[in-house]
Amino acid sequence: MATDLVPGVAPDTRKTRRPRLQRVAPKNPISRLVTASRHRWLYLMLLPGVAYFLAFKYWPMYGLHIAFKDYIPFLGYSGSPWVGLKHFEELFTGPDFGRLMANTLILALLTIIFVFPAPIVVALLLNELRINIVKRSVQSLIYIPHFLSWTIVASLTYLLFSADFGVLANAIHDVVGGQKTDYVAQEGWFRPLIILQLLWKQTGWGTIIYLAALASVDTQLYEAARVDGAGRWRQLWHITMPAIRPAIVVMAILTSGNIMDTGFEQIWLMTSSLNRSVSEVFDTYVYYIGITQGGFSYATAVGLFKGVVGVFLIVGSNWLAKRLGQRGLY
Amino acid sequence: MKIRKGRRLAAAALAVSTALTVAACGDDEPEQASFDKITVMTRLFGTAPDPAGELQQAIEKHIGKKLDITWVPNADYGDKLNVTLASNNIPDVMAVDEKAPAFVQAAQAGAFWDLTDKLDKYENLKPADERTALNSSINGKIYGIYRIRPLLRSAIVIRKDWLAKVGLQQPETVDDLYNVAKAFTEQDPDGNGKKDTYGLIIPKWPGPYASASPYDVIETWFGAPNGWGERNGKLVPGFDTEEFIQANRYLKKWIDEGLVNKDFATLDSANWNDPFVQGKGGIIIDVDVRANQLVDLFKQKTPNDTDKVVMVGNMKRSDGQKFSYPFTGYNNVLAISKQRIRTEKQLEEVLETLNKLQDKTGSALLTNGIEGRNYKLEGDKAALINQEDPAVKQIQNDVDKAFVQLGTRASVGLGQYAIKYPDEVSQKLYDQRKPQMEEELKTAVHNPALPVISPTLVQKGATLNLIIPDARIKYLSGTITEEQLRAEVKRWYASGGTQVAQETNDLVSKLPK
Repeated sequence: MATDLVPGVAPDTRKTRRPRLQRVAPKNPISRLVTASRHRWLYLMLLPGVAYFLAFKYWPMYGLHIAFKDYIPFLGYSGSPWVGLKHFEELFTGPDFGRLMANTLILALLTIIFVFPAPIVVALLLNELRINIVKRSVQSLIYIPHFLSWTIVASLTYLLFSADFGVLANAIHDVVGGQKTDYVAQEGWFRPLIILQLLWKQTGWGTIIYLAALASVDTQLYEAARVDGAGRWRQLWHITMPAIRPAIVVMAILTSGNIMDTGFEQIWLMTSSLNRSVSEVFDTYVYYIGITQGGFSYATAVGLFKGVVGVFLIVGSNWLAKRLGQRGLY
Repeated sequence: MKIRKGRRLAAAALAVSTALTVAACGDDEPEQASFDKITVMTRLFGTAPDPAGELQQAIEKHIGKKLDITWVPNADYGDKLNVTLASNNIPDVMAVDEKAPAFVQAAQAGAFWDLTDKLDKYENLKPADERTALNSSINGKIYGIYRIRPLLRSAIVIRKDWLAKVGLQQPETVDDLYNVAKAFTEQDPDGNGKKDTYGLIIPKWPGPYASASPYDVIETWFGAPNGWGERNGKLVPGFDTEEFIQANRYLKKWIDEGLVNKDFATLDSANWNDPFVQGKGGIIIDVDVRANQLVDLFKQKTPNDTDKVVMVGNMKRSDGQKFSYPFTGYNNVLAISKQRIRTEKQLEEVLETLNKLQDKTGSALLTNGIEGRNYKLEGDKAALINQEDPAVKQIQNDVDKAFVQLGTRASVGLGQYAIKYPDEVSQKLYDQRKPQMEEELKTAVHNPALPVISPTLVQKGATLNLIIPDARIKYLSGTITEEQLRAEVKRWYASGGTQVAQETNDLVSKLPK
């Protein structure tokens, strides 16, 4: 995937794109069929993927219609009465909506500001390392946390930051003094902890894609730049950055679609009575309503709303990326 | 290019897929009932028994049918119940919280058999207590056989050796209890020269308001209604009373003075015993069976040094008046699903089987085990035997952690035969339960609204149920003031609580007296 995202040495992607488009878009249906039969083995290979998406992504969407019903499992899909937009009305006029939206968006914003750029920075730093073995081992070490489950990360957080026995909490207390802070129980520390967890767990993993992009940069460009008298910063700015820009843009668009996805497990594990006012987001709300309370229809309505917003965000940011002269996702 | 198209699909699917998390499955015709086997789902408190294990075999032999039991860990039971209700595989017999919104909706839609007048002809299924039967109904209709529990189980467990060390008597009033907690915190009861102990241990409470949490118990001591109570001729929720505020003011003082574990809002309830056994905290307000659990844990740690637990009942208010926190007399009901049990005749067959399961022999199997293997009868008491034999240990485990959850006539805390413990400490704590319960039932504060569930609460419970417990914890931890706590009670009314109160009053007035 990474190699496909990186256009190699071509800084202006539009030029290379035009001939390709002409090649794959024949004018009349017959020649289209001819092209298709010529690539039949490729289409055959496509089949499992298509089947997967149909079976596991599109077919279940049939169930979405219960968002417009008062779904009672015993009565089944057909037996449950239609209620129109009742559940959406309840969501938008209910007391929870504002808080959910604010919590979700604030977390998303913090993620974009702090978590999204972190892998880029780390990848660039790693790229400047000259000793390969150091580079490789650092890279491996920092992506290990990715393989730990959120349950373990949450437990570690409690062990480090709780007031009673938290190692780090006590260490901070020893240095700063004053009242002991129970970081895991305080509303104000909820968001910083979530961001810290994300940084710790995901940064290393996120660097992989950027490192792959960096690896494909032609070293001749750097040599040429050095001959022209460019320093490290200049090389970074004029060669490295343009080379990984498409990767950044694609990642940004993908991230924007996930803005409303705040990561269910992570948030759920860190939620308590004390911080619910800042920690309840759409994901945990859907779980709470749907699974814990058995309000299937209402939960589906909330989930559907979230999904629709996600689609708009993806389409919107893709459009924006193109307007800004970048290659979009599609 | 193919990759790119795939990616487009992936991106779109990714965005929408979260909407599908709760979309349920289709509705196929289930297979016709084959009645050598009954499917069951119930709670599990340890590891699941082996279906081919000695105990299950003995039970199947007794009832003459195979049992296919889905054991669900207690902590996940509510979630699993809701998911099961939305599936094609509803077990024939399942333990359910009959007031859970999803169950109420399913039962009222006809997914479960209405057993209101059907139980009387079965000797062992007929409700032993009419009031409990009514409590376990949905607005007067019985959808399941209630699983019996002692009518009062609340108790305070205190470190006995600590109490002796600080030279205090067993507490009787809320002020005594405060003094004990204060002494446990400040007078170094473990004698290690450091101020590293505290009084009360409270875990993160998973249930809603009025779910037998330490908070609910303390509020009752102060005279607040247990759940719902009459004030000026109308039923009001317990948190809308002055006593509720007073009780929480009292507990807040404890928390402010460090007499309670600092992580009371986050401590996992599965680890509730740990601080007690590790000698960090010295008081637990919970149920009487916890005293024996703690003795067992101390025994595991140092086999000869177990006399560290003393149990007392509910506390008197400062003015000497006593209000005890009772339990509901049951825990969940065994409901019978209509998915496979379609006809009255089939229902009769299932009830017949259950009747057999709950008879004297059946109850003994479920709540005591196999006679001659893990216990022997001494008079009317079951003395535990062969507990070192791994196979017997397995039977004992299967009884205590699993099969006891299928008992309705005899069950947790009320086995077919009373237990005779090998050691004196455990025996004393066990024997203390019954007289303590009988004494405290005299001052018990009952919840008149137990049999009813308001339709608004079924609809909006998700939003409403969290308001009060969250506000209470926030007040106790000092995040919000007393005024804000009162404002949260108003918010509860404004978010739909007004209708809930109205409906609850109406439904209670319509109940058979």
